Amino acid sequence: MGIKNRLKTGIQKNLNQKYIKRLLGIIATKPVLYAYGSTFPTISDKYLNIFTIESLKKAYSDNSHPVGYGSLFLPYEMFHALGITPFLPEVMAGFTAGLGLAPQTLKEASSNWYSQDLCTFHRSASGASELDVFPRPDFIITTNLACDAAQKSFYIHSVKYDIEKNFYLIDVPYRYSKESIRYLTAQIKNICMDICSKTGKKFDISMFKEVIDLSNEFRKWAIEVSILRKTLANYPPYYNGLNFILPFHGLAGTREAVILYKQIYKELKKYSSKEKKENSNKNKQVKRILWLHLKPYYRNEIFDILDRENCRVVFEEINHVYWPELDYEKPFESLAKKMLSHFLVGSIDNRINVILKAARDYRADGAILFSHWGCRQSNGGARIIKDSLKKLNIPTLVLDGDCVDQNNSSQGQVKTRLQGFIEILNSEPK
Amino acid sequence: MYTCGIDVGSVSTEVVILDSKYNKIASYVIAPTGSDSKNAAREAFDSSLKQAGLTDNDVKAIVATGYGRINIPFADKNITEISCHARGAISLFPDLKTVIDIGGQDSKVIKLEGGNPIDFLMNDKCAAGTGRFLEVMARAMEINLEEFAPIFIKTTDKVDITSTCTVFAESEIVSLIGQGVDKNKIIKGLIYSIADRITSMIERLGLEEPVCMTGGVAKNMGMVKALEEKLGVKINIPDEPQITGALGAAYLAQNIH
Repeated sequence: MGIKNRLKTGIQKNLNQKYIKRLLGIIATKPVLYAYGSTFPTISDKYLNIFTIESLKKAYSDNSHPVGYGSLFLPYEMFHALGITPFLPEVMAGFTAGLGLAPQTLKEASSNWYSQDLCTFHRSASGASELDVFPRPDFIITTNLACDAAQKSFYIHSVKYDIEKNFYLIDVPYRYSKESIRYLTAQIKNICMDICSKTGKKFDISMFKEVIDLSNEFRKWAIEVSILRKTLANYPPYYNGLNFILPFHGLAGTREAVILYKQIYKELKKYSSKEKKENSNKNKQVKRILWLHLKPYYRNEIFDILDRENCRVVFEEINHVYWPELDYEKPFESLAKKMLSHFLVGSIDNRINVILKAARDYRADGAILFSHWGCRQSNGGARIIKDSLKKLNIPTLVLDGDCVDQNNSSQGQVKTRLQGFIEILNSEPK
Repeated sequence: MYTCGIDVGSVSTEVVILDSKYNKIASYVIAPTGSDSKNAAREAFDSSLKQAGLTDNDVKAIVATGYGRINIPFADKNITEISCHARGAISLFPDLKTVIDIGGQDSKVIKLEGGNPIDFLMNDKCAAGTGRFLEVMARAMEINLEEFAPIFIKTTDKVDITSTCTVFAESEIVSLIGQGVDKNKIIKGLIYSIADRITSMIERLGLEEPVCMTGGVAKNMGMVKALEEKLGVKINIPDEPQITGALGAAYLAQNIH
């Protein structure tokens, strides 16, 4: 049994914090970590896994920095500037799916009155929290940006750990305006000041300097990756742009994010040169897929089928760099602008514009919208997104499923829909 | 030259052998799938060969479709029911724009343009809106499924069935019977409830004529009439709607070189 399977089986049998801490203690020692890292097919994958483990070790460590739970769409630069170790329960829910733990965490959530109707990212995370699998948070920061479940379920975490006074909700206004920027800037500033007063740290604006510089550097490489991908038809084996949610959000403002995205760029660049040398006719046959929303994080056949049928995901909506460069002299305002620039803020037209531009830029032949159970912010727009893409003659498959709970859809049904869609993409006019 | 299509569904397996020179059906077989779909497919294929007076070697290519399509080792290729039903229906009604297929396990609506499927919707989350739903209800009422159509046509009034879950709908029916409600009205209500679900799928894709209905449930004229009434269009029904998927598969097998 390989190291990954041993890890998976071990954690499935011993789903408790003590075991996780012990496991992280072993795996996050340099020799083991690098041995573990070398089991991944690419250096970027290795970095992704090593950085994730190091970040988790820090969060689970008893004598480390304060731990802050955060929801997905926060500007994590504020965490890093304040010296708070971010812990993202929604991302962890993805891990529960990947490690085969979701049946246990979802069952626990169900036993604790979490509705079946609640998105499984939050349900699984809440179940894990109820099982005391997560590290104890010192602060919890969430937002109403896009997701309605986060603000409620994260508050429940604060009640569980008796830290309601350290719970912060960032209220993002519906429209981008000067007034909205002022309103949001004040909130972010107040939260940072409040956290500083609670941690006993004297607030100094210079603590943002390095973080903002690193965030801009990461942004630059993320844009380079996006530009390069416009020309690519094939990808290195196992490359999946949907795996980079943690670094794209949680590591923004760290050296790790810069190293990772620089490496992704290098690998894709190398592959792009290789691709140019090969027969370009082969690449013409590839069907280019634009992926909307997330993917299932448990073992599934979706990407194997796409691969087998010569379909490549050429871009993912979630990897769109939506925010402008940050200004370290105005850190709070910059972070406010970052949040307000998100395409899920405001009208569905903002999201559609991003999707249509990506469809044109990446010359998509088709789009797949993975309709994750309970995710109303995404599923609510399915019809209008499908209709908008249709105007560009791009067919869209709205693939109903669940990113975390593998029992919420049948693999066979997903397969039939996917294959049927690919057959449509490949059909020749009669 | 002959090609073959095999449609392995949850309830039945259909085989069509197509004489590709004349695009005519040489033979077809409809058999229960049972618990061993691989074996059911082989037996139905053998029986179809026998009926046409052919041997394995006479068949140039075989395409498998249906939920059991990946489990047919002697098939050359597997293609989804979406493409196969569309192709089969187009071979019978060339200008078709919409195909409604209600099978034992799922129901689907396929939108066509220029003879090609361009979009589809499937309801296979549960048995609601499928042939299985009708079967379960017929059993609960102790009435043969074949009697549903004449009852639907002659009955003027209906009782609404509100449960979408097959198990709950069955309980609802048992309870209605217990209350002394006329079974004919229940049957009328049942058929309308399926028609409502299918109509909603069609409307999501946008109804365009001509429309054709395939699959085993298309043999139930009550269901066809209910849908025609809800949609306000005439629905074309193949002579043997149950073999449309297999027929389409046999046509698509002609493309295998």
